[in-house]
Amino acid sequence: MKKSLFLLFFSFLLVAPAHSRELIDQIGRKVVFEEPLTRVVSLAPSLTETTYEVGGGAILVGATRFATFPEAAARLPKVGTYVALDVEKIVSLRPQLCLAIRDGNPKASVERLESLGIPVYVFDPKSLEDVVDTVSRLGDIYRTETTSSALASSYYQRLNRVAQQLEGVKERPRVFFQIDAQPIISAGGNTFLNQLLVRSGSVNLAADRTGYPRYSWEELLGLMPDVVLLASMGGGYSDQELRDRWEAWPQIPAVNNHRLYVVDADLFDRPSPRLIDALEHLVGLLHPKLTGVQ
Amino acid sequence: MLGYSPVYKKLITVTLFLFSVLIVSVMLGLTIGSSGNFADAWKVVLGQGQDATLEVIIWQLRWPRVVLAATVGATLSLGGLVFQALLRNPLAEPYILGISGGSAVGAILGILAGFSLFPGLTLSSFVGSLMVLSLVLLLSNRREGHSDSLLLAGVMVNAFCGAIIMFLISVSKTVQMQKIIFWLMGDLSAVGTDSLPLLLGVLPCFLVIFLLAQPLNLLLTGRESASAMGVNVAAVTLVLLLTASLMVSLTVCHSGLIGFVGLTIPHILRLALGSDHRILIPACVLTGASYLILCDLLARSLPSQGEMSVGIVTALVGAPLFIGLLWRSRQ
Repeated sequence: MKKSLFLLFFSFLLVAPAHSRELIDQIGRKVVFEEPLTRVVSLAPSLTETTYEVGGGAILVGATRFATFPEAAARLPKVGTYVALDVEKIVSLRPQLCLAIRDGNPKASVERLESLGIPVYVFDPKSLEDVVDTVSRLGDIYRTETTSSALASSYYQRLNRVAQQLEGVKERPRVFFQIDAQPIISAGGNTFLNQLLVRSGSVNLAADRTGYPRYSWEELLGLMPDVVLLASMGGGYSDQELRDRWEAWPQIPAVNNHRLYVVDADLFDRPSPRLIDALEHLVGLLHPKLTGVQ
Repeated sequence: MLGYSPVYKKLITVTLFLFSVLIVSVMLGLTIGSSGNFADAWKVVLGQGQDATLEVIIWQLRWPRVVLAATVGATLSLGGLVFQALLRNPLAEPYILGISGGSAVGAILGILAGFSLFPGLTLSSFVGSLMVLSLVLLLSNRREGHSDSLLLAGVMVNAFCGAIIMFLISVSKTVQMQKIIFWLMGDLSAVGTDSLPLLLGVLPCFLVIFLLAQPLNLLLTGRESASAMGVNVAAVTLVLLLTASLMVSLTVCHSGLIGFVGLTIPHILRLALGSDHRILIPACVLTGASYLILCDLLARSLPSQGEMSVGIVTALVGAPLFIGLLWRSRQ
């Protein structure tokens, strides 16, 4: 009784003179929210970033702790971290809509928000195409379709260009992507990084495992990678230290042929359109003979 | 059951006092949080709030959490009191004996098997706690006479349970599984209103233990003399052990492993109130409830960003106390 009364009060607050809009989110659920949208809370750094990109930044009233890109996002009120949401803080910001990621935000918190009458639009990007789809969907939510569709089509073009460039290339270097250095962690076959590696024309040596598996030096010597990619800041080491740890093993082809590359961890760690920058960057490193790639 | 009037009077005074402490703790738990200010929250608690959002925050987010903290705190401290009396060991406690760990292993296996919260998960968690209890009792009985063997057995069983928990979570692909830190350090943040019916399960346990307060007092004078005074020692011991394990396992699925509450509260209360269990049992319930509400308040307000596990707070208070008690018992 008490609960329904509160819900009634709460929804009353949101209804105002507006009208409601109904959308289907990326996992196929119906989401109903009130328009015009003036208060949105983003529960993931990637969604915050993409929101600014499609021109919805002005209506964000809250974001997660590590949503530091672009700079304006860092100044938003913080609602906990991506994996540990502060539900009380979110509710206190009175959002009309929350944006969530299925495999990162805790399910219980999302369900709690919905049970309190706050609609949550859930994204579930599994591929680069989904990331571009996220751009279009956010543009739809914020009604900034002009910006978002222009962005989306330029992203599709860039993806196509990479695919075309690699069409005639036979060589597929065997790559080990080191996400963290202490302990050594790589990205398994069901991750975004695996997709990036495959689409940049290489073989991910960790593809036979799932999630983010640990590796020992013994296993790495058995794998004999042609190229090693080292995510910057891994284990708190400097770029030089990251390389030095591998240089101790000259029998590994990547070391012997000087194909150890430190890559910017920030580019790879969230499913935002910057992954397309990352893809182009990878193609440049893995297939240096190709021209016309950044 | 309550005996003579001096005890009765003391019981009323102590209970009223501790009940008012509990009310204050509940008020603090409701009015302090990551959003809004104290004054506005206070108005809402008194029913004069104007702010619908704050009402939702207080009654649907903070209230279930405060109730859960109170229930878990009361259960763990009462559990500690019962185990200390029955095993005649001042350092016995559900967490240290591994009973909580056993319940958690049972609960995790239940989740992996796809059981529902009730009765499947409750039952598997209860079975886990009973297995640990029998194992610990068996291990400690083999080396007669030394109370340390009970604790050693408990600590080892606890370490083993911790390893099983980490193992099961590492190898499982089940999404609904909580994180390792939840199980090992305890966390009250995941609670929703659906966890509250667990109250219905622990309240009868409290009552059963309270009704056995006088036999428990007599048991403390020794098995033979208790038996001579007409106490059915075996039956009372069995009922108390089962009831204490049941209530601990009921709470573990909702809170994870929260340590040392069952050590801290009974010891403070015995110092303040003496060793009459007719008074200690209600006092333990009320103080344990207040204590965990306040610990949880610290856990969610101390960190500058986000929250920490409530088990960190209880261990920071409880572990030094454990060492102190151990020191004193050696001298």
